[in-house]
Amino acid sequence: MTGSLTPVEPPRSSSRSSRRSLGVIGVLVIVVIVLLSQGLLTSLNYFETVDQALAQRATLGTKVIRLEGVVVPGTISRTNDGASFTIAGSGRERVYVSAQGSPPQLFQASIPVVVVGHFVSPTSLQFDGTQIMVKHTSSYIAAHPGRVTAPNGTSR
Amino acid sequence: MIKLSQRLLGPVTLACLAATFVLGLWVTPEDRTQKNLVRLLYVHPPIAWVALYVSFGTATIASCLYLWRRTRSMTMDRIAYCAMEVSVVFIILTLITGSIWGRPTWGVWWAWDARLTSTAILGVFALAYLALRRANDDPTLRARRSAVFAILTAVNVPIIHFSVVWWKTLHQGASVLTSTGQLNVHGSMLLAMLLGFVGFTLLFFWLLRERYRLEVKRDARSIATLDEALALRRREGV
Repeated sequence: MTGSLTPVEPPRSSSRSSRRSLGVIGVLVIVVIVLLSQGLLTSLNYFETVDQALAQRATLGTKVIRLEGVVVPGTISRTNDGASFTIAGSGRERVYVSAQGSPPQLFQASIPVVVVGHFVSPTSLQFDGTQIMVKHTSSYIAAHPGRVTAPNGTSR
Repeated sequence: MIKLSQRLLGPVTLACLAATFVLGLWVTPEDRTQKNLVRLLYVHPPIAWVALYVSFGTATIASCLYLWRRTRSMTMDRIAYCAMEVSVVFIILTLITGSIWGRPTWGVWWAWDARLTSTAILGVFALAYLALRRANDDPTLRARRSAVFAILTAVNVPIIHFSVVWWKTLHQGASVLTSTGQLNVHGSMLLAMLLGFVGFTLLFFWLLRERYRLEVKRDARSIATLDEALALRRREGV
């Protein structure tokens, strides 16, 4: 016979579990607040459209924003440190963008883009960008739907 | 019939995934805008579908059934736990494949928009669920707290789904589950994508089944270990 068989007081697992659970919830709350502060709390909307930005240009001033618009065909020109182009909103308004850094692979005319930057002045239509992002649509269309395969296996 | 379907689950899953990859890589055409980058369409949306709706949905339904007195059983708790564990894998894969797709298309690996941020939060919720289970020793208490937590965090799923409708996001809108019911994917591209949805959904149920079996074995082993310890204790007392 080894050791004492005297009944011992059972560990208070319930309160310990509660403390651990509260700890997990506490850490979770902190992580979620950090994520929200990075993403959603600053603005639920990721960007301002050209129309919105121009409508509130006086309040925006030269503050850094994300500006969204469609690249106007024929306006893209590559510069030494990036690209300059014009973007349009749903109306006739245009904003002239001069952005630094290499544009994304999909950057092209008639594609919606989001440019991070600021207006040169509260009254200017010139926008200085530091980053270009492409906002592609949710439509997926075959590049050459009418293409047929010739008997020798080549596509035409 | 059930045994046959169980036996076929693995091979059918692999066949669906193999067909998806063959169609996606060699048969389907390039996209007009995205060119070959569109091939991630056959992987990323199906994985996200499983992460958000199938696995998190399974965990939530099983949690509801656990809390409902008439269907309460440890089986429901186990299903919820196993589904949530698989969900973590799929949420991480969703974020990784989305990031890989985002870099060449958007130009950035990550954007703090409503869709991406709310998906990341769902991942944190799923990890917190697993941590919460480890924090509780009492099986009944653990099951109840986990079930309540899973149901509360499931509120985030519709927020993720509608985030691209409610707010302006860099992430594009829905291509299949649109509010108008319109399909924005054409021809063989749609076929490959839908096959991907079926394949990854089956993969989830396959993983869930295997994980569930493991959990049952683990529970049985812990009971056996406890019985052995009690028997040893009794022998010591004689």
